[in-house]
Amino acid sequence: MGSLVAIRGLHKAYHMGDETVHALDGVDLDFDRGEYIAILGPSGSGKSTLMHILGFMDQPTSGSIIFEGEEVSSLGADRRAWYRSNRVGFVFQSFNLLPRLTVLENVALPLLYREDSDREANEAAAKHALERVGMLHRLEHRPSQLSGGERQRVAIARAIVGKPSIVFADEPTGNLDVKNVDRILDLLGSLLAEGITVIVVTHDLGVAARARRIITMRAGKVQEDRRQ
Amino acid sequence: MKIFDRLRPAVINGLRELQANKVRSLLSMSGIILGVASLVAMVTVVQGMVGNFRQFVDAMGGIEKIAVDRQTLPKEQEHLAELSEGITLRDVDQIRATIPLIRNISPEVRVGWEKVVYEGREAITLILGCTPDYLPVAKRWIDPGQGRFISDLDILHRTDVVILGSSIAADLFPPNVDPLGKVIRVKGKRFTVVGLLNNIEGAGMQIRSGNSKGGGGMWRWRNSGVFIPVTTATSKFTGNDHLTGLGLRIADANDLQHTVDQVERSLLQMHHGLKDFNISTNEETLESFKKTESAFKLSLGGVAAISLFIGGIGIMNVMLASINERIREIGVRKAVGARGSDLFLQFLAEAAVISVMGGVIGLSVSMGIVWLMNYILTQAIPTQAVATLDWKIMAQGLGFSVIVGLVAGVYPALRAAKLDPIEALRHE
Repeated sequence: MGSLVAIRGLHKAYHMGDETVHALDGVDLDFDRGEYIAILGPSGSGKSTLMHILGFMDQPTSGSIIFEGEEVSSLGADRRAWYRSNRVGFVFQSFNLLPRLTVLENVALPLLYREDSDREANEAAAKHALERVGMLHRLEHRPSQLSGGERQRVAIARAIVGKPSIVFADEPTGNLDVKNVDRILDLLGSLLAEGITVIVVTHDLGVAARARRIITMRAGKVQEDRRQ
Repeated sequence: MKIFDRLRPAVINGLRELQANKVRSLLSMSGIILGVASLVAMVTVVQGMVGNFRQFVDAMGGIEKIAVDRQTLPKEQEHLAELSEGITLRDVDQIRATIPLIRNISPEVRVGWEKVVYEGREAITLILGCTPDYLPVAKRWIDPGQGRFISDLDILHRTDVVILGSSIAADLFPPNVDPLGKVIRVKGKRFTVVGLLNNIEGAGMQIRSGNSKGGGGMWRWRNSGVFIPVTTATSKFTGNDHLTGLGLRIADANDLQHTVDQVERSLLQMHHGLKDFNISTNEETLESFKKTESAFKLSLGGVAAISLFIGGIGIMNVMLASINERIREIGVRKAVGARGSDLFLQFLAEAAVISVMGGVIGLSVSMGIVWLMNYILTQAIPTQAVATLDWKIMAQGLGFSVIVGLVAGVYPALRAAKLDPIEALRHE
């Protein structure tokens, strides 16, 4: 497996009034393609900030990120949007499906913002992704008509519809019952076979145990990087 | 980048939001609806009104007509009264000889409102002494088979002939009697009816009442009156050669002011500088109509502008509220790859959809208003439809609503575009 991301000396500082908070304080990490990684850590440890920066939602204060061989640490907003639409997928704790859109439309949403967006092709890709998560029978339903587990499967379909390099899952099982937790984690694990790097951000040790590599964050630094 | 491909989902999304928040959307549209409706109805009705003014002025002899009327002397000239003999046929000759811009000149003597009688049937009407030139000056005629008008010979011989207005003919004669050749009494004297003047049917406006023969309504006065030779009027009735007025017709309306000046100078000279006459033109009437028109446009246009403005604020308000409710949605869209410009477009399209819908509803309301106004007007005055909707005006009204919607949508859309995706996703 080749290297996907290389992070060196990553810093992120927030200014809150007169105080400066160092959310990330010198992080060095390497991720390969097809890796299953869990990032553990208490609130305020910097794991969310790391995910946002790696997910092209935020910019670091300093440091370098080489993503697929390119330096991406100081991209403009539109360029970062391009990466979000073409290279990464997000799965959230609260699903974050748009209530007014159907399941099919929700899944096709990331493709809508691509340059080569085409309605029929988008729908075909969305159906393919829904088939992958076993939700093909709910195309025209609204999110409110689905159970929590079903919603999260739809959200995973949305995350993989654009054939991303990385899928970020932020506490993906936090709102699910026990029965669905395994199913969702299995589903996330199965993405590795397609060469997708899965990064699960959690503070649930059980969830983290599924990953082959566990990174523990504390006070903006990597405290432990363990492979199992 | 194909802007159309980006617009389509934005518009569909806007329609969907509209459908999801029907009441709120309708409320936010109300200002636009009111604005467009009043704008279109106002322009339509004012245009209809102006059209009617034009017809009215035309029926009054058009703007090529100049009227000269007798007038009492101004106070400072009162003691000189005997110096001028008033308007006479000598003025007519003078004007005819010196002002070539005038095509027709019609000397007139108003004998007054008097009784006309035929075999016990009678009517009271205006008796006017005039010459053959009355017809071209007043834009009247005699239809074929309805006899003739006053001739030069009648003027020369002071004959006792009379031409009747159509409503007087209808009043004096039973339907089965041909008035031509009959002798009637005009202010007690015997006159032979030689012609019937054409019936004015509102110069293009339809007169609704079918039962009163000879027309009715606001044009009735134009169809009344009896006409006798001006020389007969002076010798038989007034006893002097004073005219009560002159009607002048010029060839080209562009010469109007010029001709009015010449007539005034010529008459002042003939009258030894005494201003015992008044010159008026229909242009003044038209001007006053135009003033009324612009007053209407100004006041109603103000109402329309204010409602459109308030409509814009309403849309902006609703858009801001809607964005506040949908911060998470904005975050999700950004997280999956939407650029700021995508969200800007989405919310601008939403504002545009609201305003276009408002505009369309406003147009249908304006149709109702115009219909209602026409209905009321045709009840009050027996004329046909005063105003018809013009697609150009309607397109303009719709255009205004789109502009208002877009302008009102810019600020909320910018706010949506600038939201930070992380903050937006955290929003509860």
